[in-house]
This record gives sequence, C-alpha cells and structure tokens, in this order.
Amino acid sequence: MSTDVTRREFLATVAAAHGAFVLGFWMPDKTQAQTPVARPSGAVWYEEPATPEVNAWIVVAPDETVTIRIAQTELGQGVWTSNAMMVAEELQCDWTKVRPQYASANRDARERAPEWTLKVPGNGATDPSGGGEPTFGDRDRTGVAGIPDSLYRRMRTNAASSVKDGRYYLQLAGAEARERLLLAAAALWNVPVTELTAKDSVITHRSSGRSTTYGRIAERAAQTPHPHPETIRIKSPDQWTLMGTERKNLDVPLKVTGQTVYGIDVRLPGMKWAAVKACPVYGGDVKRYDFDAIRTMPGVRRAVQFPIPDPSCTRGRIFSGGVAVIADSWYQAKTAIDRMPIEWTIPPDNAAVNTAMMQDALAAAIAQPGRVRVEHGNVDGGFARAAKIVEATYSTPYLARARMEPGNATVLVTNDRVDIWIGDQSPQETRFSASKITGVPEQNVYIHLCHLGGGYGRNGNGPQAEQAIMIANQMRGTPVHMLWTREEDFVGTTYRAMGLARLKAGLDAEGWPIALEVRTCMQRDGFGPEASFDVTSRYQVPNYRYSTHTTRFHIPVGTRRGVGQAAHEFYRESFMNELAHAAGKDPYQYRRELIARTNLPYKADMLKALDMAAEMSGWGTPLPKGKARAIALEERGAEGNGSATISAMVHTVSLSREGKVRLERVDVAHDTGFGLVNPLSVKKQIEGQITWFYNDAMHQATTIADGHVVENNFNRFPLSRMAEDPPEINIRFFPTQHWLIGMAHDRATSIQSAIGDAIFQITGKRFRDLPFRKHDLTWS
Amino acid sequence: MAFDLTINGSVHSVDADPQTPLLWVIRDHVGLTGTKFSCGIGQCGACTVHVDGRAIRSCSVPVSTAVGKPILTIEGVSSDGSHPIQMAWKEFDAPQCGYCQSGMIMAALALLTDRPRPTDADIDARVTNACRCGTYHRVRQAIHLAADLMRK
Repeated sequence: MSTDVTRREFLATVAAAHGAFVLGFWMPDKTQAQTPVARPSGAVWYEEPATPEVNAWIVVAPDETVTIRIAQTELGQGVWTSNAMMVAEELQCDWTKVRPQYASANRDARERAPEWTLKVPGNGATDPSGGGEPTFGDRDRTGVAGIPDSLYRRMRTNAASSVKDGRYYLQLAGAEARERLLLAAAALWNVPVTELTAKDSVITHRSSGRSTTYGRIAERAAQTPHPHPETIRIKSPDQWTLMGTERKNLDVPLKVTGQTVYGIDVRLPGMKWAAVKACPVYGGDVKRYDFDAIRTMPGVRRAVQFPIPDPSCTRGRIFSGGVAVIADSWYQAKTAIDRMPIEWTIPPDNAAVNTAMMQDALAAAIAQPGRVRVEHGNVDGGFARAAKIVEATYSTPYLARARMEPGNATVLVTNDRVDIWIGDQSPQETRFSASKITGVPEQNVYIHLCHLGGGYGRNGNGPQAEQAIMIANQMRGTPVHMLWTREEDFVGTTYRAMGLARLKAGLDAEGWPIALEVRTCMQRDGFGPEASFDVTSRYQVPNYRYSTHTTRFHIPVGTRRGVGQAAHEFYRESFMNELAHAAGKDPYQYRRELIARTNLPYKADMLKALDMAAEMSGWGTPLPKGKARAIALEERGAEGNGSATISAMVHTVSLSREGKVRLERVDVAHDTGFGLVNPLSVKKQIEGQITWFYNDAMHQATTIADGHVVENNFNRFPLSRMAEDPPEINIRFFPTQHWLIGMAHDRATSIQSAIGDAIFQITGKRFRDLPFRKHDLTWS
Repeated sequence: MAFDLTINGSVHSVDADPQTPLLWVIRDHVGLTGTKFSCGIGQCGACTVHVDGRAIRSCSVPVSTAVGKPILTIEGVSSDGSHPIQMAWKEFDAPQCGYCQSGMIMAALALLTDRPRPTDADIDARVTNACRCGTYHRVRQAIHLAADLMRK
C-alpha cells in the first residue's frame, strides 16, 4: 500500500468527509478516501469546530456543549479543569456542559493574540481586582521564553505558572465571549444589553420574560464583534462563583475507564513503529551499526540513523545521536534493535566521568571565591565576634524525573506539512524544532496534543519530539510512532543538577546568628545558582554573604519538579535546624524569632504559616521514643512584595530501631493568596509533592559511571508505593493579600530537612547528603 | 502463530509470536490501549491486567500463558465508569496524570475480589503499583469506598 500523502489528497479527503478542513483526521491514501480515521473517543487534541467559535477559546454548539480550548498541557496538575474554570467563571455558562479541548499550536503560529489580551489589567500582585503579575519574556521564535503576542500567548506548561500567567486573559476570554453573547441577544430582541442577564448558559430579559440559550445565540455572537473589548473588566475574587470552589477534574472520568488517549496510544493507518537507541553517553554518536544482522527478523523494515539533535532545538543541551529500527509493531522493533550490533563514537572526556569525580569537582569549585550574589554587613567581623561557629556541608544528587509514560511521539512528515501527535509541555518549541528539522514552515506544522503520563519539568526537556521528527523526516509519507523503552527514557532526558552547599554561621552568646555565609554549587547550566534561586536567608542575620559556584559537566540538566529551590530549601532548612539545636532552642520558635526580626513585606504571612502548622501538628506535645517532629518554612517570593507562595509544614516521622523510616503525618498550613482557582487540585498537588519529595529525601539518586547514567529503570531508581504514603495528611489554608506564584512544583520540599532532623533527634546522627536510604539509620 | 484470546468476554484471534509479552498483544494486536507500558520489567504495575482472576504484570508474561484463560483489562471493568471501583475513584478524584491508574484499579479490584473488607495493611501488601504523581493518599481512600460500594 502506498502511504505517500500529499497535501492535495489530505485536503480532498477531509473536505469530503466533513465539509471543512478538519484536523485530527488523517487520510492514508485515495483508496480509503471516504473512510476517515475516526477521532478516538478519548482524544483531546484540537478539532476544527462544526459551528463558528465565539472567540479563540470558546465554541458553543447548538446542543449547548461549551468547548473551552486549553493552551496548557494536562499532566496531572489539573490545568484541564482550572483553565476551563477561569474561562467559565466569566462566561457564566453551565459548568456541566463544559468540554475542554487542546488549543491549536498551528493557529498559534498563524494568528496574533487579540489586542485585549495583551494589556494586564490592574496594579500587579497586590491588587485583588487585577490580573496579577504574569510574566512574558521577549519574543523568541523557539518559544523558550514564550511568544508573547501569538494567539494563545503562552503555550508552555512550566514553572507552576499556568494560573499566574494565564488567569487574566483566560478570564477576559470568558468575559469577552459572554458580552458578545449578550450583545447578540440584545440585537435580536432589540433591547438594551444592560437589561439582560446571563447565568448557566441562559440569557434572560426579565421585563419581557424572554430568554434564550448560549447554544441558540452562539452563531450570532460569532458575527457580533464587541465595540470596546478594552473596557471589559474581569471579576475579582469576591465576585467568583465557580473559581474558588472545589471542582472534580474534568479529565478523570476518561482516566478511570482507560479511554484517555496519551501520546503512546495514538494509532494511525499505515503507521510504522520505531524503537530507538541513542548513545548512553551524552555527546556520543553512532559509529556504525549492522542492520544486516536483524534484517530478516519478523516485521523489521529498516534502520534509520539520527544525529545529535541541533542544540537550538533542545535549549542548548547536548544529547546523543542514535539509531532507530522501524518495524510493523513496536515489540518487533524493540526486539530487533536489542539484537542489532551498534558501535558508538564517544568523546573521551565524557566517557571518563563518574560521580566521585564530579563530587570532587564541585568541592573544588565551592572552595573558590565564586560569584557573590548578596552581601550585607560585615560577615568576617561577625564570625570573629561569634561565641560559637556552626558549619555544615550538604549535598544532593542528580535526579531524574522518571515520569510514568516513556517518551514517544507519532510523526508524519510530508513535503509541505508536518503532523505530530504528542503529549508536550512546550508545543511552541516543538513547532520550532519540526520546522528547523524538516524545512516545512511553522505555519504548516500541526501538533495534535495529548495528555501526558506525567511531566514534572517540561516532560523531561529531552529530545523526544526531535528524535521522532528526525526519524519520520527520513520516511516522508509514512506516519512513524517512536516509543522509548524505560531505559531509553532515562537517556533522553535532562536531570536536576547535583548540588553542594557549604553553610557557616556565627552565633552570639544567646545562640542567635550574627553572621552567615552560604555557598552553593551546581554545574554551570543547572537550574540553581545560574537561575536566580537565591537562597537569601528569609531569617534575619545582620551579616550575610551568599555566593554561587559552578563547574562544567556534560550531563544535560533542566527544570525538574522543585527545580534548584528544592535543593536550596533542603540546605537552608536543615541548617536552621542545626542552628536551633546548637543554640539549645526550639526549632519552631527559633525560626519564628528570626522571621519576626526581619522587615520583609510578607513577614506576617510567614509567621502565620509557622504558627498554624505548629498548632495543627500538636507541636511540643510528647511523642514516644522513635518518633520526632520537624518544622520548616516553604516560600517562594516572600523576600519581595510581588507574587508569592507561602507555607509551613510539620512532619511527624517514626524510625524503627532497624532503621525503617515512616513519614507518619504531615500538617500543612498554606496561603491562598487572593484565592485558589480549584482548591481540590491544590490539595492534590500538595499530596503529590509530599510523595515526590519523600522520594527525593529517602530513595532517589542518579549516579554517573563511565559518562552514562547508571539508574535507568525503576529497579535501580526506586519509586515509593502505597505502603510508604503518610497515613495522615492535614491541609489548612489561610488567606493572604497577594496573588500566588503557583502550586505545582516546590511544595513539600521540607520533607527533606524534616526527615533529616527527625533522624538526628532519634539517633543523634546527622546526615547531610541525600538520599537517606544509603545511610545506616539503625539505633538502640 | 495464530491463537485466540478471551479478553473482556470477547474472543480475539491474534497472530503473534507466542513469546510476545501479553501487554503488547493487548495494546497493539487487539488495540486495547487502556493498559499501559512503563518499565517493561514488571516493577511498576502500569500494565496490570487480570488473567484467570489474578492480577499480573502483563509486560513480563508471554502471551502464550494467557491462551485459554479469561483476561480482564480496564476496558472490561466498565466502559462508562459505572463500576463501583470507578465510581469510588471518581468520588475521590484520585487520578492525576492518570497513566498508572488503569493498573492501579486492576490491582485494587483483584484485592477487593479476594478481600471484600481490606485493611490498610492488605492494601499496602497487594497494591504495590507505582504512581509518580503521588495519588496514593486518594487511592487508599477510594479502595475503602469501593469496598463499601461493592458490598451494597
């Protein structure tokens, strides 16, 4: 069967099928022209609407279904629901009729954002009536810093910022559509629009008793421009009726029946399967491979080599070259590539690297002067006057994300068009890569977005799309489904950089710090010192110096859940515990006093968090031998006066004499800012990050031997299970007077310092390097 | 080699190497994609299905061992989400990314079939699937609710 697709055939066949250019359908060839591939019921990618859209976010069908287009990617964080809630709040539609669908990254390349989305209303992070403090970078074709004026503005899903960056224009999108629906009804009835009300998709003219529905008026609304969209105001939290209520996530029903179509589930007529091996040492490439050795294996079609992806497509990271085996089924391709001899060309410097050398290099770099980021007072003078000096060195390993869905993408390249089915946290970047690799303009790249089986940091920042596009580009006309094995997924990813920190404090005679020096070290391109995660003490110390130190390694690093902040909060909060113990003071009261001494704008909020968490946990009440509590502050932005997220947690930990740790109970006091969009999603995010940082604290580490990652499956990179989940999690919220930064990645980092301190309280042993699993935790 | 598999009560004729793991036959030959691939070594449980009423990790079992035995996948629990275990999952909004949840539900369903009133210790021992999003807290509550609903 010929699988060569031309644009003309594609257009002809879908037009015949649907009367319009319909994306999400794909035609294999003319012979099947009248039998388009049905969109699976669990598919969520963009589809051209059958009725005209009211605006780029909203389509209301005659049956009252409200399609809300989502430009962020659902990977478990609830954005499918919270983005829809922000639109629906203002649209005032019937929530039970809402059906989210992914926005089109292709239209995003073709259309400009409406003017009314470009200006942020209000006065920043402390104005409850405004749009908060969204951040858009400069125009950047790769999408790395966003493409601020493209149709959907921000299509990235990162930095826990989907609500912070998108709220105002998503609310505006809902409001603009509502106003146009009202204007259309007013014109139809020839009454002033001010006499109409809209609720639950029904428009009512009270004095005449007339009413209509969104479904009936939507087509007219689509033809009714708003004369002054810049005058439309968004609702402030005191006016919310949907936002701020707990809403079950709209993607859940399909996820309990197995119907959700993830990238791995995409099937196309004529599709071939690709199993891949990339050089396990980054920077390596294929020297030779012997396809003849596997040529006759069942289902095997060919082998396709691909180079090291162009770093401009991978944010400057250097991954590996490799080879794919193409077969009629994936298991055939995988079985064959496992037996195919492959030789690699590996840069000798990279091949010589192992974890111990890297630790030595970090230790050498941190001893250098480094780059001073913050300095106030006279640190050396403070140390000279101190009654007691406390010093500690902490370290954190490389860490993988280990999402559950291995990397995959289904790609069809033709001479004038690229179609990609993928779960993707950065479709604007993938669009750029597809164009760069194939030469097809971005306007002709169609990304059919799928839900992701976990992301935890821009789904790996790895080259899954780029590899698949490079393979399919050599098989133009044939759709290729590339799927990584679990082991390959540990190669095609970036890591959180390993880190080192040296902290030194001088305490006065009462035990209060009068001087503090903090040094942190990560590799140069690691998201840590170079990405402004300033570990500036939130605790008052009159003489303070913070410096960052770097070295170069070949392991590609990127934004893993918690980013550099997770490591830095481990360092900072562990050291606070050490200082409190050295001072003979209660670690909760010690923190409290040092925050109370500051003049930080959000001081009261930090104190509130600490007090609430302590009170919730029964802080100070006796615990049996073998159990301990530890407290920590978690905040982001609390040093400034803009957006911030502030919480405190108390962790109650037990440790058996045999050294078995159990996180028994977690008490969380968390600020809501002016309001949480979906408090249920927020609770789930906190629960999820309790598991995440428990794993970071107890189990996980990535080590390097001979230049490659050692832990490449779950037998060596352990994931905790039900049996380790804390039996009790208590979450309480308190209001604060700013907009939040976000929820999805740096909550519950305190588990790291808390387990470390509990181990110390119970055993007297202080461990300063993660994970704790590798230490002897027994006691008697 | 051609053989018949009985999946969710329907007979499917399949032509595959008998050593092919059951997972890939279910996903790629039969086309039921609710069962997921993740580790390929029987560690994580994303591929859990029932064979002859027992929860097994289908990535590590040759398809030949399932011939002639009833196979149950997530699609066979109920396609409309009306089974008590699915209702309980929805009540607690348990899934996050959802990728592991088919396997998690299948493991929990096997437990509930054996032990209609499971203790937390039973759950710890029998539901050993990995979830990277950290849904364990809600999954545990959902299993207890499902036990209540299934007894009614």
